[in-house]
Amino acid sequence: MKQRFRLALAQISCEKADKTANLRKMEKTVIEAKKQGADLVIFPELSLTGYVVRDEIYELAETIPGPSISIVENIARKTKTYIVLGMPELSRKTQATLHNTAALVGPRGFIGKYQKMYLPTHSVFEEKRYFRPGYDAAAFDTPLGRIGLIICYDIFFPEVCRLTRLAGAQLIVCISASPAIRRAFFETLTSARAIENTTFLAYVNLVGIEDGLQFWGGSRLIGPQGKILGKAKYDEEDLVTCDIDYTDLRSVEAFVPTLRDLRPELFDKLKESAEKL
Amino acid sequence: MELNPSTLDMDWSEVETKILRFIKDYVRKSKMDGVVVGLSGGVDSCTSAALSALAIGGKQVQALMLFEKETRNPEDIRHAKLVAKQYGLNAQMCDITDTLGAFYRSIPSFDLADKLCKGNVKARTRMIYFYYYANKMNLIVCGSSDKSETMMGYFTKWGDVAADIWPIMDLYKTQVRRLAEHIGISKKIARKPSSPALWPGQAAENELGIKYEQLDLILYGLEHFLKVEEIAERLRLKRELVEKVKRRWLSSEHKRRMLLTAKLEYRTVGWDFRLPRDPYQLAREDDL
Repeated sequence: MKQRFRLALAQISCEKADKTANLRKMEKTVIEAKKQGADLVIFPELSLTGYVVRDEIYELAETIPGPSISIVENIARKTKTYIVLGMPELSRKTQATLHNTAALVGPRGFIGKYQKMYLPTHSVFEEKRYFRPGYDAAAFDTPLGRIGLIICYDIFFPEVCRLTRLAGAQLIVCISASPAIRRAFFETLTSARAIENTTFLAYVNLVGIEDGLQFWGGSRLIGPQGKILGKAKYDEEDLVTCDIDYTDLRSVEAFVPTLRDLRPELFDKLKESAEKL
Repeated sequence: MELNPSTLDMDWSEVETKILRFIKDYVRKSKMDGVVVGLSGGVDSCTSAALSALAIGGKQVQALMLFEKETRNPEDIRHAKLVAKQYGLNAQMCDITDTLGAFYRSIPSFDLADKLCKGNVKARTRMIYFYYYANKMNLIVCGSSDKSETMMGYFTKWGDVAADIWPIMDLYKTQVRRLAEHIGISKKIARKPSSPALWPGQAAENELGIKYEQLDLILYGLEHFLKVEEIAERLRLKRELVEKVKRRWLSSEHKRRMLLTAKLEYRTVGWDFRLPRDPYQLAREDDL
């Protein structure tokens, strides 16, 4: 396993409901990122289709693995890179039951997926109308370390990152489609989740305007001490590469031992209290 | 949450950037050649026209100055011309007096003394002019409604609010005034009293029965889920006044959310056909 590697925050805008165009853009971006030395390229939430596709989503969703993942596998194979992207996933057992999913693909093919647990259905969001929530945290062994996946609104719930970290993730990838008004929340929470879990956290947000909704970008890699190691522009497409060195984890884990100090008995109380809210 | 004039402060450079991007994006995606915007000389229309020019260039902005005998105000005309010149707009003036007169005469029972009905005819007639230019010149209609008037239902249904995009609709009136000054519109225009110009001497604040400085803070409180009594207490206002504003806001939703359809079938326009707005239809096709 590599202790050090370079990743790319691929902050793109999407052609709405045009998977072919978005896959083409992803391929071009991965090739460029590889030229810059990146081994892992991360795309935003629902980057295969765009975020505001509403009822069109039933036609756009695919199984994972499926046709679009096959194309991403080819890109990963050709370029010898690992790729994370977001897409609407169609359940294999049904015809219209969907998940908002992050998929991880590597040079040897599909590695794993994460189904978003917390689906925002308030303000401008209507995700519960379309998606079924996932129930499991996800972390996968790769030659680039153990990579965990979460999606956007999950970051407001510290237990998702905690579960992912406890599943062994050294790098948590958070893909996102966050509109501009929420910038301050994410800028704080991305650092907080990295610090409290002593982990690297790569946040990759969408840009562009969909149905008048503006996505703010600002993708970043946060180190386990909360330091921003690389940051993309606000509001514009950008490709930023930044380096991870997992040896930093040991030092921070010893210095602020949040994982050592976990108190599992409090989680029982938390469960009880949450059920009575 | 504090409710005072600084509550409504925003980063005006950022607001400007977002609005310019919004206008530019819509014009590009719709493959249209620009926008048409009404330019009355008031702060809302001057700001919308100026922002459009800053987004896509003044030559791509068809500014229509629609005046009529009854409400013609030389100062407004002067202000409209000033803004048109300042931002290099493609400006045109139309006198709609004869159009209105023909309409009044065509209805045998038309009540000239009913200023509300007559005023609404004026607002809807202006809308027809905007859409004529949009159709003819391949343009988008850019609306000038602000958040205060829209929340209060202080507009004509299918009239002054009819447009394809509303760049300043998420800004309260007092915020529009600040944005106007930020982008270089003269203080005189930015701070002058508002009027829909539907009849002579009409003043928005008189009709609403409250100053915009107070109204905007009440509406801001309602927007942020504050209760009536909390708003009244923070602003040291009578509960009844805040209650009145809230009632007016709630009772005018029918003007903001169009297409109330009787639900009869599987999926229904206005209810559960939830489709993305993109890809945009050409304006020419809108009316077919």
